[in-house]
Amino acid sequence: MTEMTETTELYQLTLTEAAAKLQSREISAQELTAACLDRLESTEPALQACLTVLADQALEDAALLDRAGPDPDQLLWGLPLTFKDIYCTKGVRTSAASRMLRRYIPSYDAEVVTRIKKAGAVVLAKTNLDEFAMGSTTEFSAFGPTRNPWNPAKVPGGSSGGAAASIAACQSPGALGTDTGGSIRQPAALCGCVGLKPTYGRVSRYGLIAYASSLDQPGPLARRVIDCARLLQVMAGPDDRDNTVSTRPVDDYLSARPAPLRGLRLGLPRELWESRLDEETSAILKAALKTLEEAGVELKTLSLPHLPHSVAAYYILATAEASTNLARYDGVRYGHRADDPQSLRDLYVASRSEALGPEVRRRILLGTFALSSGYYDAYFKKAAKVRRLIRDDFFRALEECDFLCSPVSPLTAWDFGKFTDDPLTAYQMDLMTLPVNLAGLPGLSLPAGLAPGGLPVGWQLIGRPFGERDLLGAGLALEEAFPPLT
Amino acid sequence: MPIDLTTVLHTAELARLDLTYGLAPDKAQAALDKLAAEMSGIIGHFDQLSAVDTEGVEPLYSPMLEPLGPREDCPRAGSAPEDLLSQAPERLGHFFAVPKIL
Repeated sequence: MTEMTETTELYQLTLTEAAAKLQSREISAQELTAACLDRLESTEPALQACLTVLADQALEDAALLDRAGPDPDQLLWGLPLTFKDIYCTKGVRTSAASRMLRRYIPSYDAEVVTRIKKAGAVVLAKTNLDEFAMGSTTEFSAFGPTRNPWNPAKVPGGSSGGAAASIAACQSPGALGTDTGGSIRQPAALCGCVGLKPTYGRVSRYGLIAYASSLDQPGPLARRVIDCARLLQVMAGPDDRDNTVSTRPVDDYLSARPAPLRGLRLGLPRELWESRLDEETSAILKAALKTLEEAGVELKTLSLPHLPHSVAAYYILATAEASTNLARYDGVRYGHRADDPQSLRDLYVASRSEALGPEVRRRILLGTFALSSGYYDAYFKKAAKVRRLIRDDFFRALEECDFLCSPVSPLTAWDFGKFTDDPLTAYQMDLMTLPVNLAGLPGLSLPAGLAPGGLPVGWQLIGRPFGERDLLGAGLALEEAFPPLT
Repeated sequence: MPIDLTTVLHTAELARLDLTYGLAPDKAQAALDKLAAEMSGIIGHFDQLSAVDTEGVEPLYSPMLEPLGPREDCPRAGSAPEDLLSQAPERLGHFFAVPKIL
């Protein structure tokens, strides 16, 4: 959180502010990196947002940049950024917060890492997550949970919880996360910052440790909407090593301007607004809708009738994809290997059973079940059909409005352990976010206000496929009406 | 559908997981029972999909709007073998080593 001081500390600068000061040489890359590292050091004992901090390397890289001088063509010149520890980073441990990969050092960079580095950024740290991005609280990290900067007794959300907590605590001005069922948008909401899940296929997944390949999408988190625009500008675009990336031209996101609120048509999916929201969330969001209406926004309640089936469809498809993606962890080529296996089969079973955590094992089991002989049609194929119906609902609804708008999480940040013994209820907490992944649409999560208990409440805008520029414009307008919390 | 212990154990076998790995025998049964109950609850929730009318609906396995064709089949630089072998838990020369199977 930003502390109210007379002068803004360097670490408090937003990404866009810092970029301007770096380009004009008002501040140096080394000064900013050092300020972020100091901030990180003072906040990290309470938060545990980072799994690896690259202090020496970051300062060295910043010094190199300063020696060469700012380059106006490098959109992220001199900015210290963090990566969720699920992006492969060459020569830097990439654990996916799993015992399985606790000693894994990739020999290559993910495409997004390559692009971000090429744009002049400094890699500051690798952030915490739920193991293999499976979870919504970071409680499933094999290295311990991250805490919410607004209240350390509460979860930061997940799975990109380390990224969101780090941004909210001003450890860095920008972070790269991934969103499979809400893993960028939900922690952004719970930590009071901004998170963007791009359209499926806008950003390369090359070098991301895979969870569910038809749902995973990399995206940015930051303290301002325009910061996310800058990061997306660098991330987006074709990559011939990921055949699911679109070859459509990348829009000029940086030129996005706040959309006029008067006449903006927002569709409110009834099935999400009428589901169980806690009192604080409901009160803040209803007041926010009223403010929008007074500003001339046309609000229209719409029905997306298949949304209530999203949780079931998602958890069948995501776990099925996870069960196949995680079959590669067999103790042979990389990752954890059990000691003294008696046979090849024993090597597989012991290595996997020792090193995969409880939620990952649960999802592998669910997915294996949904794909197994006798159940494939009834579960996996059926879920894929329902997925099409859900996407059709979205396409129809988006014909009747400019954007859809919904809550991000039914609850403000909750206590640790709240859903530990109730995985089904935990899964149902994802109802607001995961339909967007099923449909492959872009979603922008941003703060709507602060609840009386002192915790942030977020909401999201959902746009048309590849409509990120318009989505950012609408987000900028909402950000003017509802000031940032961090 | 309710998930019994046999189904849980069969599924774990398919996934090469030992669900009671490292647990004392008195804890093992309780862990399996708990997991079977959780899975029954979750798969029971999945069962709501059977009521959705999907007659004539094509499954959607990927949200890509314009699937790309295969890449041109031409040689390109890949990872160096030594890089890939560097992460092996055990190796013999240029091979990944595993326990004897015969």
